[in-house]
Amino acid sequence: MFRHNALRYAVLVALSLAALFQALTAEYFGLEILTEILILAVLVLALDMVAGFGGQVSLCHGALMGVGAYVYALVSAKAGIAPPVAMASAVAVTGVIAWVIGAICSRSHGIYFIMATLAFGQMAYAYVFEAPVFGGDDGLSGISRLDLSLFGIDLDDSRSFALFCLAVAGAVYGASVMTLQSGLGRSLTGVMHNEQRMRALGLTVWRVKADVFGLSGMIAGLAGVLAAQHVMYISPGLLSWTVSGEALVVVILGGLGTLVGPLIGAAAFVLLKHEISAWTDHWHLVVGVVLIAVVMSGANGIFGWAEARWGGWLERRMADATRKHEQEEVVSDA
Amino acid sequence: MAHDLGFWTLQTLNALQLSMLLFLLSIGLTVIFGLMHFVNLAHGSLYALGAYFAASLAAVGGYWMGFFLAPVAVAGIGILLYSGFIKRMRKSGPMAQVLVTFGLIFALLDLTRIFWGDLALAIEVPSALAGRLDFLGVEYPAYRLFIIVLGVAIFGLLAFVLGRTQIGAMIRAGVDNDAMAACLGINVERMFFVVFCVGCALAGLAGAVAAPLLSVTPDMGLHVLIPTLIVIVIGGLGSLKGAIAGSLIYGFVQTFGAVLAPQLASVLIYALLAAVLVIKPVGLFPARG
Repeated sequence: MFRHNALRYAVLVALSLAALFQALTAEYFGLEILTEILILAVLVLALDMVAGFGGQVSLCHGALMGVGAYVYALVSAKAGIAPPVAMASAVAVTGVIAWVIGAICSRSHGIYFIMATLAFGQMAYAYVFEAPVFGGDDGLSGISRLDLSLFGIDLDDSRSFALFCLAVAGAVYGASVMTLQSGLGRSLTGVMHNEQRMRALGLTVWRVKADVFGLSGMIAGLAGVLAAQHVMYISPGLLSWTVSGEALVVVILGGLGTLVGPLIGAAAFVLLKHEISAWTDHWHLVVGVVLIAVVMSGANGIFGWAEARWGGWLERRMADATRKHEQEEVVSDA
Repeated sequence: MAHDLGFWTLQTLNALQLSMLLFLLSIGLTVIFGLMHFVNLAHGSLYALGAYFAASLAAVGGYWMGFFLAPVAVAGIGILLYSGFIKRMRKSGPMAQVLVTFGLIFALLDLTRIFWGDLALAIEVPSALAGRLDFLGVEYPAYRLFIIVLGVAIFGLLAFVLGRTQIGAMIRAGVDNDAMAACLGINVERMFFVVFCVGCALAGLAGAVAAPLLSVTPDMGLHVLIPTLIVIVIGGLGSLKGAIAGSLIYGFVQTFGAVLAPQLASVLIYALLAAVLVIKPVGLFPARG
């Protein structure tokens, strides 16, 4: 089950403050990068929910994100329906598709689960690529952002849009924590640790897996909507399996099953990508080497490593501090 | 068009040619998985390396030099990968293996770009196989027929080695139960190593053979990876029968799908894969029942 500890709170606060500071002070380029990080963060939260807490290593989350983006684009730009409705329908459609994929794949484990989700992701990619309504290779353009002028906010301004994405990412983080701490999330972790035992306890295992996968799909769809609104143009490349692979890389680099870790991973990944591509166009080589090093070191990503090193120490310090505080209170009471 | 016998012959040959190319790739991957339980996503990158080695060697000493030496060179790379990464990752779970080999894909992709550049390379078909042959009433490029014959020959050779020789029996024992095979005095670790090298060499051979048909680009390994994975998952991991069955299914569905129902072709194969995974999650002919 997901628990917050002192280090997680500390990192979370630091990350939010850094993002807020960046959103308020940065220039155009900095804001674009921040928005990119935040959208990736939403996607990897969705992936960490199923991969880190359910053992469902999905290689179709990039495709789910693409589905969200395409549904939003079709409903808002082509059918001309208001963006809020389009957003809701994109999230709902992606959630339903993810639920079905989760239900079908619920019997597969390990490498077979990875392959099955890869197959569904590629199926969506191939379909979007071929069907004329999606604009094929050319993609779709002319996608508008959400209209918040009612509240006096103009999302076409990149600073407002970055702040909007920050708010969405914060809400998604809260929703993920709530889901994972609910009965459903606890059951999922139980299934990950011992599926047979959970079945023996009377749990309908496939329903739990499918339900969480569906929720995770909704979040991935939301990431897609944000991505479509951010670039205002989408192409089938969004659904390609390498996007899912990169999302998985981010989760692993950050720390699987920690929720906070993948956020660090997203920031590190995007920053690294921009920094490295500034001086060499071989950034894949660097990412590949870093990935190999992280996985072979045996640590659970950047955050997992930090937690193993400092988490316990910080926790003890906090506990000592509270105990001392309580003792003082007892003394003063007496 | 569809009632013409020549059309069917031609498409069958096309399908067979695609199947045989995929067979060369998937057999290495599937036996490595069956024997070592190791998921080597970088197998596609080895195929790309094979194509590059073949292109460079062909420029020096003609097509046949590339054809024979590229597999050896790729097996050499395989030895490096084995001693550097794969040996150490043997005991970790599938997740870590997928990720390390995913990292290798990234690294090898950029290394090929650094060594050979971004531009596509091309190799000439050897003069002995340049023309067209009359086959059952259709004119068909000799080089493509050569690929089909080569694939069938490799299949026959592997079927013989795996099914009729002592080494084959040892490999099958290792796939079936590696701990038991080790108890019976088989040096499983050394066998893994040899099988891994042979698998890499076959991937290199596939690259060398495919190079004259396609242009040689850095991302060709990435493009071929998904079809290869589909083949081994449909066929069932670890078995020769699964690899050939999966390759034939993929080749025929893809080729005939593209000419008979072009809108559905690409979705069809993924739908088939999903159906196989739902009905028989371990594939059609898994090595272990």
